[in-house]
Amino acid sequence: MRGTGRGVYVGVNGRGRYAACKGGGAERHVALCVAGRLVGWGGGSVCTGWAVRTVRVLQPRGGAFPAFPIPETGSAYAVLPVRPSPHALPTAMAAVAESLSFLGLTPSARDPATAVRRRNRGPRNRKKGWKRWAGPEARLGREIGDFLEDVTLQQRVAGGLIAEQPDAGLFFVDTGNAEKGRKRKNKIREKPLHIDLVLQPDSKVPPPKDILSHQIPNGKKERRRRQFWERLAQRGVLPRAERRLQTRLQNAAAPPRGPPREKAPEKGRVDPGRSFYDIWADDNPLERALVGQDSWFLQQTQKQRVKRPPRLQQKPSQLPAVEVIAPGGSYNPTFEDHQALLLKAHEVEVMKKRAEDKVERQLRFPTAAEAPTAETVFREQCEGLLEESEGEEEEEEEQKEEAVGGAQPSDPPRPPLRPGKKTEQQRRKEKEARAQELRRRQEKAWRCRQQQLFRLRSLGRQLRRWEQELLRRRRAREAKRREMEGRPRRLGRIKYEDPALEVQLSDELAESLRTLKPEGSVLHDRFKSLQKRSLIEPRERAKFKRKYRLKYVEKRAFREVTL
Amino acid sequence: MGGLEKKKYQRGSATNYITRNKARKKLQLSLPDFRRLCILKGIYPHEPRHKKKVNKGSTAARTFYLLKDIKFLLHEPIVNKFREYKIFVRKLRKAYGKSEWGTAERLKDNKPTYKLDHIVKERYPTFVDALRDLDDALSMCFLFSTFPRTGKCHVQTIQLCRRLAVEFLNYVIASRSLRKVFLSIKGIYYQAEVLGQPITWITPYAFAHDHPTDVDYRVMATFTEFYTTLLGFVNFRLYHSLNLHYPPKIDGQAEVEVKPAEGKEYAMDSESYLEKHKKLFEGLRFFLNREVPREPLAFVIRCFGGQVSWDKSLCIGATYDVSDPSITHQIVDRPRVEQQVVGRYYLQPQWVFDSVNAKLCLPVADYFPGVLLPPHLSPFVTEQEGDYIPPEKLKLLAMQRGEDPGEETEEEEEEEEEEEEDDNDKDEEEEEEDESEKEEEIKLKKMEEQKAQSNKALPVKVTAGKVRLEDKQRLEQEQQSEEKRLAIMMMKKREKYLYKKIMFGKKRKIREANKLAAKRKAHDTALKEEKKKTKKARRA
Repeated sequence: MRGTGRGVYVGVNGRGRYAACKGGGAERHVALCVAGRLVGWGGGSVCTGWAVRTVRVLQPRGGAFPAFPIPETGSAYAVLPVRPSPHALPTAMAAVAESLSFLGLTPSARDPATAVRRRNRGPRNRKKGWKRWAGPEARLGREIGDFLEDVTLQQRVAGGLIAEQPDAGLFFVDTGNAEKGRKRKNKIREKPLHIDLVLQPDSKVPPPKDILSHQIPNGKKERRRRQFWERLAQRGVLPRAERRLQTRLQNAAAPPRGPPREKAPEKGRVDPGRSFYDIWADDNPLERALVGQDSWFLQQTQKQRVKRPPRLQQKPSQLPAVEVIAPGGSYNPTFEDHQALLLKAHEVEVMKKRAEDKVERQLRFPTAAEAPTAETVFREQCEGLLEESEGEEEEEEEQKEEAVGGAQPSDPPRPPLRPGKKTEQQRRKEKEARAQELRRRQEKAWRCRQQQLFRLRSLGRQLRRWEQELLRRRRAREAKRREMEGRPRRLGRIKYEDPALEVQLSDELAESLRTLKPEGSVLHDRFKSLQKRSLIEPRERAKFKRKYRLKYVEKRAFREVTL
Repeated sequence: MGGLEKKKYQRGSATNYITRNKARKKLQLSLPDFRRLCILKGIYPHEPRHKKKVNKGSTAARTFYLLKDIKFLLHEPIVNKFREYKIFVRKLRKAYGKSEWGTAERLKDNKPTYKLDHIVKERYPTFVDALRDLDDALSMCFLFSTFPRTGKCHVQTIQLCRRLAVEFLNYVIASRSLRKVFLSIKGIYYQAEVLGQPITWITPYAFAHDHPTDVDYRVMATFTEFYTTLLGFVNFRLYHSLNLHYPPKIDGQAEVEVKPAEGKEYAMDSESYLEKHKKLFEGLRFFLNREVPREPLAFVIRCFGGQVSWDKSLCIGATYDVSDPSITHQIVDRPRVEQQVVGRYYLQPQWVFDSVNAKLCLPVADYFPGVLLPPHLSPFVTEQEGDYIPPEKLKLLAMQRGEDPGEETEEEEEEEEEEEEDDNDKDEEEEEEDESEKEEEIKLKKMEEQKAQSNKALPVKVTAGKVRLEDKQRLEQEQQSEEKRLAIMMMKKREKYLYKKIMFGKKRKIREANKLAAKRKAHDTALKEEKKKTKKARRA
């Protein structure tokens, strides 16, 4: 298309027909222009649906448009696009000539009116036949559309038709490398930011300057609405969006009041600034939500807390939480109290020492007299061996005896100790003896019972004694249980051990409060107290276990130095 | 034999207990979480009576819980929070590992937290229940509030403990409910009577911290976590019982005295004796030197109505200066004080504590700076009759009864003066001393007789001038003893045996007490001798 000219006079028919005809139907005028000059007027269309478009001739630059005969008024013109040709002027000229011939300016031109009149009727029984855009008219219409798109593109991109651009706008003279290199550098430096490029207007077609109200879509409606809201605003009524915006602004200006304040994050349970309330009041925040609700509902929705069983209100030990130290533990104790405390501590130490001594005694290396000599060592080594040999001998002897005794090889294997079968007589005698024994016993029991009648008093005494014994046992059991209750329970692998007594020796006692050196730790005391009351089980610190043994390597440098 | 086979360990005590590990698995918690939960909820391990049965035949020592307790724990909403927290930690660790700081921030913003308010209400349904368990809570809070902020536990916890402890002290001051103080080598024991409940707690001395390694800090922190919540609610209630606004304004660490509502008298303390005790230091103005423990002293003095101040540079809250002429007592703990101001007593800090325990302002002479202090007795000891009572305590009791024990001290002082005056009259003095010793011995014997004769320690007053009165009393005594003898004669054999045993025990006790007294005397005389010797040496 570049550099070529083509003439297009468009009267685009909605149905794909093209014509600028004179006469017939409603009178419409079609302007026929060549190179921007009005060539003449075309007659109005015959049928409805005509649209008039800009009629132009694209003139190749530098080329002169051939003189165009001004058509006579009243004559009919048809307008046709010229098929684009990439070649230069001559072809363009040819095209113009062709178009001219088509326009009916040449003798071979057809009368377009006849063409319009003829109806192209194909078979209508298939869908294809119903199509409107078939045939040469449709092709023409498409081509016109393409052309127009191209034109608008050129306008958008280049600000006008490229063909109309001057040479300087299209070409430049290449004068050498040096300048070019410098320029490129400059270009790089002056290269605008991408964001600026993006924000540049896309089209080079300037926006329309004055738009009339009727050109704005829904202009009238919008204007009416605006007026309506202005009227309302005078009365103080604002649209909803406006109202919301304003409330938000107000909230932002005054944050302390309003709902967001309540939503401020609640202070945690260990926050030093946390607040408390009366938890034992009837109306406490903890249970306010649940007051007055149906208990069945609360239970089913799991909002009611599970009641704590009363068994848990009893503490495992009745010992006091804070056991006050003995009076000897005063920072300035009386002599006796201090001595008493020292004695107690001393006893503890003695017990410990005794246990230690016991272990030591058991593990002590024997003295010279007790130490093993070579003889005792040898005897010890032979101990089992000698006995074993003796045993073997015995066994052998036994085996020999058996061999001697068992002379009858024909005897079947039977239990050796079983006595011979009892005779009938023996059985009878045994039975009689048993019966007699039983009788004797019964008689004795009867006699005893009769005798007991006479020793009723002593029996009663016996019974009473027995009852007393039972009572004593029960009491002892109870006492033991009571005693055990005071003691810490055994709750795990490790037993509770009393902490070391805090004692200051006589020479350690402070002269005054200022010079007092505290003994022991309150933290340790509290921890042990918890254990003593069986609130926690005594534990020992988890030992660190290494999975693999450490490997010790002597560094080379070090080794060299030492050698 | 018909019926189903009975299997072992499927009924009875074996089904009532659950081992710790099984309980942990049932609750789907890790061991530390399980432990925390048990502490918070007040569920403690249980020692079964028949361990072998419960342990399904094994005798290994295990920790058991009651199955019902664990089932109760299943309903606790905090369990879910623990699980959420576990997940939160996992996510956070992942975010950190991937260096996704934004995610980490977002996660931290949504950190799952829980509150213990409902557990407090559940464990202590009434306020009195909570008061009964306050000993532990207070001791723990006071202990944690003295911890250094070095990461052994959370700084916030320490601050909260400090706040709650100071608030409680303020309540005690405002309600004047402190009863006993005892300075021990371990820490300071206090006892207050709050709404009729005796509450004892221990506070460590300041700067007395070596962190023991064999204490499980996590367990202690969990206990503290619960007890801070408890103490907060109790404080609220206590303040409101005095018509005070609860979160009191406290600047920094200084205790600002909270004034009880004007014109409000407590109907509870109608006893004049108690009232007197409460106003022990009223009208006195104390000044604390910088070497004395400021906090306990200020607390104790304020508890009994005294005014107290300290050096301005020491801590905020000082109300008057050292040079204030209206100061009546200055608490000093150094051997000698230069530049003494006339018109005020210079006393060692023990005077304050001893006075509180004795419920009267003790004579100041024993507590001057540089003087060998009388022993600090424990107010938590209550002697039974027949127990040995140290002479210091006897003196104190006499003073409380309103008698004047000044004679003895005067005598002693005189003796000392005489000693100082002339060493030549040594023999006389010794005689005097001997006499006094004899007197004492006689006294002791008398006491012994009295104790042996009467079970009840009768308040026997011997006045020299009234012979008749004595007679009457003796007659009465004789009659009583006669009656008693007759009663003993009429006793059954078994009862008599028991009675004799009891009496024997008492006699033994008295004998021991006497032995102790004799020992004490020997000790005292030895001391005296030594003193004399040193004095002589100094003179020579």
